[in-house]
Amino acid sequence: MSVRVSPDKCIACTTCVVHCPVARVTPKFLGPRMIGPAYERFRLLGLAEDESLTYCANCKNCDITCPQGVPVSSINMLARAEHCKKHGTSMRDWVLAHGELQAKLLQLIPAALKNFGMLNPVTRKVLDMFGIDKRAPLPAFAPKTFRQMARKVEQPSLPRKVVFFPGCFVDVYDPQTGLDMIWAFNRAGYEVITPEKFGCCGLPMIANGFWQDSRRQAKRNLAEIARWRDQGIPVVTGCPSCALTFRQDLPEFFPDLVEKHGAGVLEDAQDFLLDCVDRGELELEDKAPGDLSLIYHAPCHLRAQGNGLPGLKLLQRLKGVSARNADAGCCGISGSYGFKKEKYDIAQEVGSELFHVVRESGADFATSECGTCRVQIQHGSGKKALHPVSILRARLEGRRPA
Amino acid sequence: MSRTTDVIVVGSGLGGLMAALAAARQGREVRIISEGTGCLAIGTGCVDLLGYAPDGASVEDPWAAMAELAPAHPYSLLGAEKVREGLDALTETTARHGLVLRPASRDGKPRNTRVPTIMGTLKPTYLMPDTFEPDDLGKAKRVLVASVMGFRDCRPALVIDQLRRYPDWANKEYFPCLIPTPFDDAHRALNALDLARAAERPGGSEWLIGSLKERAEGCDLVLMPPICGRHAGSPLARELREALGCPVVEMLSIPPGVGGLRIRDALMRELAALGVELVENANVIGAGVAEGKCLSLDISSTGRNYATKARAYVLATGGILGGGVLLEPGRAIERVFGLDLALPADVAEWTEPEIFGSQAVSKVGVRVDDKLRPLDANGALALENVFFAGRSLGAHDPAVEKSGYGVALATGWQAGLAAAELAAAAHNTGEAATGGEQ
Repeated sequence: MSVRVSPDKCIACTTCVVHCPVARVTPKFLGPRMIGPAYERFRLLGLAEDESLTYCANCKNCDITCPQGVPVSSINMLARAEHCKKHGTSMRDWVLAHGELQAKLLQLIPAALKNFGMLNPVTRKVLDMFGIDKRAPLPAFAPKTFRQMARKVEQPSLPRKVVFFPGCFVDVYDPQTGLDMIWAFNRAGYEVITPEKFGCCGLPMIANGFWQDSRRQAKRNLAEIARWRDQGIPVVTGCPSCALTFRQDLPEFFPDLVEKHGAGVLEDAQDFLLDCVDRGELELEDKAPGDLSLIYHAPCHLRAQGNGLPGLKLLQRLKGVSARNADAGCCGISGSYGFKKEKYDIAQEVGSELFHVVRESGADFATSECGTCRVQIQHGSGKKALHPVSILRARLEGRRPA
Repeated sequence: MSRTTDVIVVGSGLGGLMAALAAARQGREVRIISEGTGCLAIGTGCVDLLGYAPDGASVEDPWAAMAELAPAHPYSLLGAEKVREGLDALTETTARHGLVLRPASRDGKPRNTRVPTIMGTLKPTYLMPDTFEPDDLGKAKRVLVASVMGFRDCRPALVIDQLRRYPDWANKEYFPCLIPTPFDDAHRALNALDLARAAERPGGSEWLIGSLKERAEGCDLVLMPPICGRHAGSPLARELREALGCPVVEMLSIPPGVGGLRIRDALMRELAALGVELVENANVIGAGVAEGKCLSLDISSTGRNYATKARAYVLATGGILGGGVLLEPGRAIERVFGLDLALPADVAEWTEPEIFGSQAVSKVGVRVDDKLRPLDANGALALENVFFAGRSLGAHDPAVEKSGYGVALATGWQAGLAAAELAAAAHNTGEAATGGEQ
């Protein structure tokens, strides 16, 4: 790797230590300040890696709370990549990092069979031995990928266009959210283009140390984004983690690619829709009968983007909807982190306050932009969790969300 | 994020949070823009008002001493009454969330107290949690100084050695003690916050009480690090006091100091209930200004720049350390608006030989009028819809005066009120102070 982040901006104030959800629940983790900037000085001297580096969930609360702008999580992820380069990676981590590729390899197998194959107790036990906790809420494959379904959507021909970056979660497990997104943009007067060329944003690979794979994804995605950007068509995503990867991680980790293709900024779809409302392009006429109460979870990777919580604002603009911010910290899942056997209990404890707030809220639904946050919230609280845009669609269509 | 709001507060330290609270209580729509969480989260939880006079003398009555400060000092600009308003707003808010903060008093008059730290020093402060009984400190004869095994920040032997240097503390009998750690296998050095959290988990209060009960027998004071729970309103300190039958005082800790997090907790809960919007991880890098008004703030965050607008702005961006004040060769400037800040032309005069003395450079900051609006180099009003608060203000030296939180909360509160008033006026005239509402 050519990139190094200077640890010397850190003044050791311990703010990140206070807000790190993993350090909060386990003393086995050195904590962000120590494993990040402090340990980086040892790394620069060529000393051995600290074993607790794998405890960093890359949730970015250290970056969010650091008053000095130290990219602590980037230091950790770079160190992890370096470590994996030297010492190899595990099969388990490869599987968790390459969900999209597996989905592609398995695409000819019907979803029901795939899901039976993956989610039956015997397989779960094998996976458990292999390091994926048998209690973890592995999402089920959708019968068809979002992109297969998107091709069949008959969109009206509209003069304004947006390009939609679905992200693997929507594409492989949750196509309905993607379809709701198309509906909402159509409604606002935008035709939605879903290019075949987009692939996984690369974050699961970064978080699991598969640096070269992530670079490959970046190359392909950045070239594709540049193509649309040059035509003046905005590229949007409903997934905060994908957006953050393009905004922060790729320029930090692969500056040469960003220099070549230009910044691959994905706009927050919810913010875009909110702007549509302000411009008068999207009317928020809440036609659904009865009131709907929602408990909203702000994904850490959304909070890290420095743009507030537009998804929550959008929901709060709907007349019959009351949406309250749970404001109860990280859900614990951090992509694939909470699926890992040695991390499962940590992830559940990290999320326990949120689960409690969600359960106690008495809300009809939980809502959050991030797919794996939703999986974790449902798993931990028992309350069904939906993407804000899915709720928006249901309200505008005059029905109850499902 | 182009949407216009009433008041934007930049910074989420104590000054920023108080400004947001003041404006929101006035019914204004408030957005906090914050890069990092501010130092309140790692502070001690005590509130200094004024610990030392400009001549270095220890201050007993901060209200009386305030009158002796230089005219440009933030306290002098506001006057004691307005400082008191901010202080009352803070104590009323934290009390609502179970954290009662109050000053010690003598002859019915509030006064400063010198509170022990985990380094064994005494630090003057004004507001303390009500679990502190300042009189207990003076009266105590047999003092148990407790810490926890594996907690390197607080060493009872060091605390005792250091405390003995103070005349009031020299003739007490001390008993050092280390209680067992609540963690089986810690991979890191524990800090006070780890222990405060452990004390709140199931079995935590039994651990604390069980470990201290016997050891505290015969003692009339227990000094311990701040580990009685991390939340505002945690009942642990009181439970412990009752169980031990003697006063328990949490010494002030180096970061993370736990107590500050308790205050932050209370304020954040209050702000959330008032619907204040928090934009995290956003760095204000500049502003659009025309005709003496701020029209918008330029934000940079994770690879993207955008502008955000309000009718009035409160800047609680911190000083040199917090990033609100930039030092450049030969000059100091305020970061967002580029205001020139007065400093001697000769760099050698920025500091003085005594390292713990009052450095000219620590007093550098924005000059403001009595409404906390910034002034230019000639003393004329620079921006009419911008108010400054906290460490970004010049003419005070919190490190030496022990006035940091006092200035932050007083100026934050008044800046928030002034911004709210201006925003309300802009509403009423139907004109957005920022030139164009959508």
